[in-house]
Amino acid sequence: MSQKVRIAQLSCGPEYSGVQKEIYDAAGSVGAEVFFPDIALADVERAVDRFGLDVRSADLKLMIARGMALVDGKVDADGVFIGTCFRCAEAAIVRNELRRYIPEHSRLPVVSYSFTERTTAGTLLTRMEALTTIARRRALLAREEQTGITMGVDSGSSTTKAVVMKDNEIVGTGWHPTTEVIASADSVVADALAMAGLVPDDIQAIGTTGYGRFLIGKHFGAELVQEELTVNSKGAVYLAGHQKGSATVIDIGGMDNKAISVIDGIPGTFTMGGICAGASGRFLEMTAKRLGVDITELGPLAMKGMGKNVPMNSYCIVFGTQSLVNALAAGSSREDVAAAACHSVAEQVFEQQLQEVDIKEPVIMVGGTSLIEGLVYAMGQLLQTEVVVPPYSQYIGAVGSALLASGFVKGE
Amino acid sequence: MAEYIPGYVGTVTKYVFVESPVMTPGELALRAYEASEGVLIKETCFGLQVTGEPEAVDRLIARIRTFDPMHIFVKDRGFPPGDPRRCRANLGGARPGYLGHEREFRILRYITRGLEEVERRGEEAETPEPAPEKRSGITIRRLQELIDEES
Amino acid sequence: MAKVFIYPATSLILSDLVARFGHKPLGAALGIRERIQTAGVDSPPLQITPEEPKRGLKYAAVEVPSGVRGRMAIYGPLIEEAEAAVIVTDADFAFGCMGCARTDELILFSLRQSGIPILELKYPTTDDEGVRFVAAIKKFLAGLPNGGAA
Repeated sequence: MSQKVRIAQLSCGPEYSGVQKEIYDAAGSVGAEVFFPDIALADVERAVDRFGLDVRSADLKLMIARGMALVDGKVDADGVFIGTCFRCAEAAIVRNELRRYIPEHSRLPVVSYSFTERTTAGTLLTRMEALTTIARRRALLAREEQTGITMGVDSGSSTTKAVVMKDNEIVGTGWHPTTEVIASADSVVADALAMAGLVPDDIQAIGTTGYGRFLIGKHFGAELVQEELTVNSKGAVYLAGHQKGSATVIDIGGMDNKAISVIDGIPGTFTMGGICAGASGRFLEMTAKRLGVDITELGPLAMKGMGKNVPMNSYCIVFGTQSLVNALAAGSSREDVAAAACHSVAEQVFEQQLQEVDIKEPVIMVGGTSLIEGLVYAMGQLLQTEVVVPPYSQYIGAVGSALLASGFVKGE
Repeated sequence: MAEYIPGYVGTVTKYVFVESPVMTPGELALRAYEASEGVLIKETCFGLQVTGEPEAVDRLIARIRTFDPMHIFVKDRGFPPGDPRRCRANLGGARPGYLGHEREFRILRYITRGLEEVERRGEEAETPEPAPEKRSGITIRRLQELIDEES
Repeated sequence: MAKVFIYPATSLILSDLVARFGHKPLGAALGIRERIQTAGVDSPPLQITPEEPKRGLKYAAVEVPSGVRGRMAIYGPLIEEAEAAVIVTDADFAFGCMGCARTDELILFSLRQSGIPILELKYPTTDDEGVRFVAAIKKFLAGLPNGGAA
């Protein structure tokens, strides 16, 4: 076992919410250990003055002081986990400012989360895994070119994707709705190989990602099994031809959404989640179904409509669907409803998640939903920027995996 | 979910802090050991932690206080001594409560001074609490006067 | 001997003075000790499980952050048990169990609402204030219905 990745915890409340053990467990399961930067009372007093954020809660002052000790290099760490209670405004301010401050003044990767008593290690796992990957695999993540013949498989909650790459080119793809995890993966792999004109033995290295990554990773004997935050960041900047400098990657998925602030292809800060399916690709699927169109037709349909003609901004998929039905019953056009649904999802993601990362251009949208042009348009409107959708954006996880897997090709 | 089996059930643990010009934590520990009656004593940088049956701990604490009444301070502790969940070596840093102690340690000398003085005076001369200063705003008339003076 | 809630509940000084003058200080350590010494589901470091914020619903609504409710699950019963309280109002650097300002506000409110005798003062910053601080606490405790044994 390699040396443990040391994650500094800056938090207020997890011990009292009963979730500290979940944080320990999540870190432990990815070979990391959580620790609390050691400082003295005088450090807290100085730090609060220097930082200039005059909060009342002493544990938040402690968070600030610990964060500054990390930035000042007084305490060594490989990554930072910032956690505060969900619904605490005072803590949210500190959490936000530290999340901004630490990456601005150090190279430490940061993940932040607001927990409730229901937060489990499972929820935190992907975030912790991403943190440890960034810390442990900087060399691997620095890869900018695919070499040899590699395959990436992304086992997502809605769809499974596979990509075969050869000498920095995509030569085969496969796409299938996720039903039975392994069977779906087998079928996309078969499709991608057939398209590439290759057989399994030709593949020199395999990378897997997505919710089913562990299961299919074992099934295929993958060299790299990696969470989707780092893989998607890598894939996005690679496909967009923007491997250097800052970028923002947005992936609105079937089950949750990712917003990642990327620097030189490596995630700096990221958020993951979404309170409700009302802000996910699932809602757009339901909209398409209700409008009687294929999901691939929803985007063009939305582009013909005017979203603001239909009131729809729902936190919740149930109420969202209700507004959709009401709008149709009231005589709204299908085009307008489609546009409103796209706008609603974009707005939810904007309000719930994009506030938590610093948006730097270019904004790159990836994942299956990036093909819904009405959604991309709505996001661009909200962010007041032109959103980049790279080729093969729906295969992002698979491309990122194939790219990174080439680090495991023999002779590399 | 892992089961939790507690240790030290039925015991109490107390911190004993010594902030004295005449007694070091080491000396305090030596004298406490002599009076310990089987109570577990752990020496620390600031004094002691004592753990045992509540009555035995109370007796020992009463005895320890007599060593240097104005410079020895006692407080309950939730954890038994050396508990890995609170240990600095495991946490990477001091538990938050330690910093709180640091805060109060700075003013113990005023408390010592207070204890000495209150004992010296005995029962008869309690210092009355000074009335809290009330800052009232100025009256409209006074404000007008000030404006007139300035203009 | 009266049960006296101390605020900050982690205070060495208040815990010491209340006990020294013959009363029982009710502070965070008692609540933590109870949990540390009770068998159940493993939930380090404080043995506060996710059930505790739910118990805290007795003291704060569900929209209140979990950390406040979890802390109130410790303090609520102690406040109910208290017969008096000594409060230091400028305890800006009390961490951990006292580290959440919203919880602290709720504790103070609950104490003031409860109708028990309360002494409120500030930390001393000079010898004179130290004398007044100790004298005030001694006098307050001696005047409690359950008397003092100073």
